[in-house]
Amino acid sequence: MNRTQLRHGLAILIQHNLLYYDVDSDTHMAYYEANTDNAYCLIRTGKILEMIDTSFGPPTKDVVQSLLLLGQTRISDLVAAYREKIASANQAVIDKESNVFDDAAATNGNSQPKKLNNLAVKSTAQLNSILCRLVEAELIDVVHDKSFQSPIDTYKAVEKEATDTFFPGGVKGGKAKIEFEEKIAEGLRKVRNESKLLKRKLEQNGPAAKRRKLFLNGGVANGAHDEEEDKDPALDPKQVIRINYEKCLVELRNRRLVQFASEMIGDMTSYVYGVLLKQLTKQLSRCRLDPAMDMGELEEGQGSGIVTTAEILDSLKTSVDLSLGLGKTSREALSSRAAEKLQELPPKKKLILEADVDGDARADESEDDGSDSDESGTDDDAKDYAPPAANGSKVKFADSTAKEQKMDRPTQLRQHLLLLAESSRHFVRHCGYNEWTVDFVPLMQVLREAELDSVIERTSGRQGLRLVRILRNKGKLDEKALPNVALMRKPEIQQKMLEMQTAGFVQVQEVPRDNKADVKKSFFLWFHDEEKSIGRLLDTSYKAMLRCMQVLEVVRQKERDVLMLTKRTDVKGREEEVMRKEYYERYRKFLDCERKLFAQTMRLDDMVALLRDY
Amino acid sequence: MAGSQGDAAKLQILKDALYDEARQHGSESRLFTQRDLLGLNVIPNENATLLLRVVQGLCDDKLFVGTNNHAGLAWRWRSKEDAKKYTSLSDETMMVYSMIDEAGADGIWNRTIKFKLNMHDSVVKSAIKTLETKGYIMGMKNVEHPNKKMYIKANLRPSDRATGGPWFTDGELDTAFITELEMIVFEFIKTQSAYLGSQGGHRSVGPARMPTKGVIRGGAAPVSNVGDSSSRGVKRAATEISNDDQTPAPAPAPAPVTAPHQSSSSSTAVNKARLKVFLPLPAGYKTYPTVSEIAQQIDKWGITNNTTLSEADIQQLVDILTFDGLIEPIKVNGRKGYRVTRPTKQETSSLAKRQKDREAGIGLDLTLMGVETGSNGLTETPCGRCPVFELCEEGGPVSPSNCVYFTEWLGLDEGRSKPPNGIVPA
Repeated sequence: MNRTQLRHGLAILIQHNLLYYDVDSDTHMAYYEANTDNAYCLIRTGKILEMIDTSFGPPTKDVVQSLLLLGQTRISDLVAAYREKIASANQAVIDKESNVFDDAAATNGNSQPKKLNNLAVKSTAQLNSILCRLVEAELIDVVHDKSFQSPIDTYKAVEKEATDTFFPGGVKGGKAKIEFEEKIAEGLRKVRNESKLLKRKLEQNGPAAKRRKLFLNGGVANGAHDEEEDKDPALDPKQVIRINYEKCLVELRNRRLVQFASEMIGDMTSYVYGVLLKQLTKQLSRCRLDPAMDMGELEEGQGSGIVTTAEILDSLKTSVDLSLGLGKTSREALSSRAAEKLQELPPKKKLILEADVDGDARADESEDDGSDSDESGTDDDAKDYAPPAANGSKVKFADSTAKEQKMDRPTQLRQHLLLLAESSRHFVRHCGYNEWTVDFVPLMQVLREAELDSVIERTSGRQGLRLVRILRNKGKLDEKALPNVALMRKPEIQQKMLEMQTAGFVQVQEVPRDNKADVKKSFFLWFHDEEKSIGRLLDTSYKAMLRCMQVLEVVRQKERDVLMLTKRTDVKGREEEVMRKEYYERYRKFLDCERKLFAQTMRLDDMVALLRDY
Repeated sequence: MAGSQGDAAKLQILKDALYDEARQHGSESRLFTQRDLLGLNVIPNENATLLLRVVQGLCDDKLFVGTNNHAGLAWRWRSKEDAKKYTSLSDETMMVYSMIDEAGADGIWNRTIKFKLNMHDSVVKSAIKTLETKGYIMGMKNVEHPNKKMYIKANLRPSDRATGGPWFTDGELDTAFITELEMIVFEFIKTQSAYLGSQGGHRSVGPARMPTKGVIRGGAAPVSNVGDSSSRGVKRAATEISNDDQTPAPAPAPAPVTAPHQSSSSSTAVNKARLKVFLPLPAGYKTYPTVSEIAQQIDKWGITNNTTLSEADIQQLVDILTFDGLIEPIKVNGRKGYRVTRPTKQETSSLAKRQKDREAGIGLDLTLMGVETGSNGLTETPCGRCPVFELCEEGGPVSPSNCVYFTEWLGLDEGRSKPPNGIVPA
């Protein structure tokens, strides 16, 4: 490899964000490091595009697709590329109009593979407005000179700066240490926020909210945007932009949660949930807070904001009938007191502060013991929260006298939200009257657990799942006690447990009864380590993904003569006509395999994303 | 002499009186201490010496059994029939019999007898044999120690601890019985904790489908996605047709309308029943079935005709269902009820119908309880179920390049089984 080749290679890798580099200020040497996180994100390309397509519409998808293909791009370059494309498409349309029978036009306009007079993005103004939307949604951010520093280098630089400016004499004492950490966090946040430059500029330019809302209802006919377009400020053409994977992950996580809610409760409720999540995560730029940067936020536990019922109502589609998806009962069968119960603190906090807020809404948690003692607690609560509860029921009763069946829309919406709050999975938290929030950290843990459970059930059967969940619930359990709890035959249990031990879902601990450690007399305690199981599941997922790719490579090798053929320029694009039937058949089969394996890798990535990133 | 004879007669009277009085005051298992016996007001002047003689006499007649309890010596009475059995036995046999008798409903291991009485093996064996032939004792099985030879008095039923409770039949866990009962309990909870209605009202089929298609189902793989959404689409469309006679009906709807609904659904057309769907009940629903309600219902149905199931037994069953992830506990105002998980995915036809179908060989792959969990990327891939996953690496005995599971999964093995590819007409 010569110098030019090397440079070219590095440039391309940097363009696609696959490398970090750092120039040492003393020696002026550049050090390169692979950016593995971004490399991994390449596998999510398809998913991100699909997500953009459904929530922003096809034109936006087209833009994002170009961005993903090009890597980071200067805005002016992107605009130029689109201008050319649009011009040639228009030209083709004109050609076609003038010469209707000329088929050649179809192949000429290869800028757009499908129908040529139907470009997704019709004008540069539309492109500009799309980019504005994406920037506002944080799905695109700006590349700046520090974007290519690896996180460790950035941290070191910030640390050095903080030491030089604030603590020239070194950090001494506990108080100074905390202060020092705060300074570092601040510095890191500053670096991170640099990439939000464009967004800030846009926000300064006036109320974007209204326009954004119109846009979010995307998927409407393309023409609808035309009136809006010219109002958007032109973006600085010199800025270099790229896809922000972190924010994409937040969107993907929302979709995952909606899917989970639909599985657990029902489609309509999950639709409401999707709207809620969208509102809630508008200001959320990443799934997991960085302990180094977001210390303050972590402690406050205010990672996610609050959404009010009215806000959700405003963004629901008017065509959606909220009365669906819920069972009908009479008012008397419902306890509005229990349903409207407020949970002001996230679950974890509650455990710590248990002494202060005793029995705070704990009744509906899945705690099996002490139902009587809880009762007194809930009664107290009811008194505390009496005003909102009474308020809510008053509204309802007024309704019920008028006409039982006809609930007004806010009430219907509230019913869905309350159902989500009541669920044992804690989808949302009713944190104030008509205020809703989501505790992502515990919720994702629940989701991970559910995923683990489904893997266990699939591999070890329902009885295997039963045993694991018993162990999760009861902690360590003696081998002899298991049959009684699980109502299963002893040999069956032993077989299942051994099977699951090899799969890594359960572990066994031998406790000798006395000093002699006689194996016959020892206790054998089974237990289930959730973290370990999830970790192992993640490893298995990685490995399975790798295997899929390797198998694909093997298949490619096997069919390489066919694939060589398809690479020829005269064959490309019209394989079916040119190739011999036998060869084409093999090619088709290979494509099937490839599609299957890619789809599978993407599905495996669903797992990895859930277990690692969300 | 006459005095002593009179004394003996007097003693006999006192014995009978004490025996009868003790029988009046408690069951065979009640322990009487010395104070209790004096309190019966049979022995004049609370004369302890006299009591001692009377009790001794009764013990000799095997009508009283002396035991040590925490407070010292105590006695319990024994029925006259039992006492007669004792008196007819030889010494060794009697000792063996008393051991078995004392063990009560739990039974006793023959080696324990031997060990405790310090008798020779053959003596114990012959004693047991005599007792068995006389029909005084019988062999029994203990669930906890299925290999131990245990004996119990013939007129007793083995205790729950020995038999393992209602879940055991002849010392074996009766899994068929348990599964059957589990299904009934699950069905009960399912119908009581979810609303049987039809999804997709006639007014809003279009928009209702939109979120499903776009937002909700998005995460799945494209291949399965297509099949899924299309089948859902069909479902909805059909719901629209069948819906007209149902939705206008519920006026002030009574609580769970499940029972009448179910019977009507089984009588109506099959496809109509299939279109129905269970819907979750609104938050704060107060009457999710509790364990005691389930127990009462089971009792009322009289399914378990020869065994009565206590609430604790039902609780055990419900716990199992919870651990299986089929139902979940839900507390409303301190009342702990149970509801079905994933209501909208549940089968709506009745359990009896599904069982009949299964006997007829239809739907054998469907579970009778609950829903199959959705598969995910890992469990679908051959790797997720691969028995030699740990060994698999490039260059090893098992590797991606020679993986038989993948070949099968990708449908490539047909080509291999038909070796000469050239045979296919060009």
